[in-house]
Amino acid sequence: MPLPVKDILKMIADNTKKYGMPFPMPKEVIYKWADGLDLPKGGDTVLFTGLLYQMIPYINASIKYLESVEESKYLSVLMKAGGIVSVISKLLLRVSEEELKEQYEVLRGIAILLKKTGTQFGYLYENDMYSGALLYDMGLDNDFREYAVMVYNKLKSLGVRTLITIDPHTTYMMREVYKNIIPGYDLMVKNYFEILTNSSIEPTKILKESATLHDPCYYARYLKIIDEPRRLLEKGGINIMEPERNKELTFCCGGPIESITPGLSKRVAQLRVSELSIANKNIITMCPICYANLSRVKPKDVAVKDVSHYLYTIYR
Amino acid sequence: MKKIDAILKEIYTALDDQSLQSGLQRTLKNLLPASHKVLKRWPYLIKLADEVRKIREETLKNLDYYIDEIIKNVESINGKGYFAKDRHEAIKIIDEIVGNDRKLIVKAKSMVTEELKLREHLIEKGHIVYETDLGELLIQISKDKPMHAIAPAIHMSREKAVKLLKNIGVHVSEEMSYEDIVKGVRMFLREKFINADVGISGANVVAADSGATILISNEGNIRLSTILPPKHIAIASIEKIMPTINDAYKQALVQAGYAGLYPPTYLSLTAGPSSTADIEYHRVYGVHGPKEFHLILYDGGRSDAIKNQYLWEQLLCIKCGRCQAECPIWDLVANIWGGSVYGGPMGIVWTAITEDIDTAAQLALICLGCGRCKEVCPMKINMPDIIRYLKTYISKTII
Repeated sequence: MPLPVKDILKMIADNTKKYGMPFPMPKEVIYKWADGLDLPKGGDTVLFTGLLYQMIPYINASIKYLESVEESKYLSVLMKAGGIVSVISKLLLRVSEEELKEQYEVLRGIAILLKKTGTQFGYLYENDMYSGALLYDMGLDNDFREYAVMVYNKLKSLGVRTLITIDPHTTYMMREVYKNIIPGYDLMVKNYFEILTNSSIEPTKILKESATLHDPCYYARYLKIIDEPRRLLEKGGINIMEPERNKELTFCCGGPIESITPGLSKRVAQLRVSELSIANKNIITMCPICYANLSRVKPKDVAVKDVSHYLYTIYR
Repeated sequence: MKKIDAILKEIYTALDDQSLQSGLQRTLKNLLPASHKVLKRWPYLIKLADEVRKIREETLKNLDYYIDEIIKNVESINGKGYFAKDRHEAIKIIDEIVGNDRKLIVKAKSMVTEELKLREHLIEKGHIVYETDLGELLIQISKDKPMHAIAPAIHMSREKAVKLLKNIGVHVSEEMSYEDIVKGVRMFLREKFINADVGISGANVVAADSGATILISNEGNIRLSTILPPKHIAIASIEKIMPTINDAYKQALVQAGYAGLYPPTYLSLTAGPSSTADIEYHRVYGVHGPKEFHLILYDGGRSDAIKNQYLWEQLLCIKCGRCQAECPIWDLVANIWGGSVYGGPMGIVWTAITEDIDTAAQLALICLGCGRCKEVCPMKINMPDIIRYLKTYISKTII
């Protein structure tokens, strides 16, 4: 039974407007990961997480629920019973601490590595924000424009001039998309791979491991960030086994359509996981959306890990 | 208009269709390496593709001029040239050329004639029509829509193909080898070619300096359909125009290469009807080839699309089908993800241009925006961006 796409798009737009995120989560989840790291509040240069890593457990819970609705034959009954939207808004209560911790680790690892490079940066804590990527991807342009202007104005009012981004979607939005819709947009955007590659950090541990690397579409094709993560991993002893489709010709994980057609999205993910696991059973992802979507379908003997785990182990 | 829930229902049915899934997997296994191999072995095609894009961009800016040129130049090679704004005009012209009494018509595979629903129309008028491309013949019998620009019947198993061919009187059986099935089709179509009154083809490209058309084929059916009948009608959509024969050849080579069939077995240039002046230098038309050559330039929404800041770029498309085979969604459901004629990345935009922008906008919602289509497109058309624009179209109406 196809999902009521219209309602889901409307929910994504409304949630982003209301909560600053497409799938609602408690406010403290945004910044809890930074506990004990002593990151200065705000400043000229800030780590701008874009909230995607923090959102993974909530995205997972929402998609799991949407998938069950899509598979059920009683959609109309469900819709009458108050609908999908109200269920999703309650899901935030059901996310496991363990799942959240896993994402906090990713963020902490990245922040610690950035500190190690000597880069001076702060963090916005409760003012850290989502870029609005999903609104843009789904063509919800009016809502996106309004949201992007709000984000930009807030960043300007906080005195931010340079953003350090850590995922491909946020990097692309803040570097390429915002400038096309906001006159005079002047934020500088540095991706953390670029900072690490251009820094003088050296491996403190050499891993003698093989793994395969899944290039996210936005890094490989939209931003041409391809060599940086490879160089960082290879320097630390990782033997990268390329999948058949890699770099500029990487194959999508299926993530972008997971909220409106989870079943189809899953099939794309299965294609990709089977291709990646032919190359190697240790899959390295570089994007939270890819991580979530590939993890959903991976067989037991395949591991999916964010690149930051490896980088943290190598360079900490 | 097709709505998103109807589209999704079709998609989920296709995901469970074992025959479609295995056909697709087999096709992709052959098609993808073929394209990659071609470009590796003949890298000049990549350079040529860049050159073709530049020429096409310039040509689109002066399309009206080139349309007039073609019509004038076709007349000068003793052919007849026509311009048809829409389906109604195109059908009227074709009906006049074919005539009202019952004719035997052989057709080469052409996506533009799919847009016109020409085969169905001619059959309704009482003519006997045969598609001569094997895949397209299977589509004709099964009443499906073509599933790929150059491999229309990828979703069909051998068993199903035999069953369909038997239905129209082809002497084939389930236990026959692939070779014998093809031989059966050859025997069946041979007499149709010889007895046909009219041959109808599309055109992969048309040269404005002469009105010459170029057709690419591997089966050989296109040459037979366009040479043996006394009348040849070629129908070309207006974005297929290139300024000169030289440019046209370049485009045909790029199209063949990117489709993974290189060198193309047959590249047929047709400039007017066949003729001889070997007896006392008296010109006679219709020797071994057609006596009449008709070229119809078909607009069908294209000149409106030129004015649209996003859609115009799709008119650079040479319909090689490469973006389809490289698209994650298309790999799972083929042209089921599409309008009534075109599917996949290019097909979503072609649906917006030739059919209905509302349906295209609904289809666009399923696009991943992953960008592979643009990456592999010989014309580097920014399909992800155009499709995102189509998404905004639908979103405006629902939020």
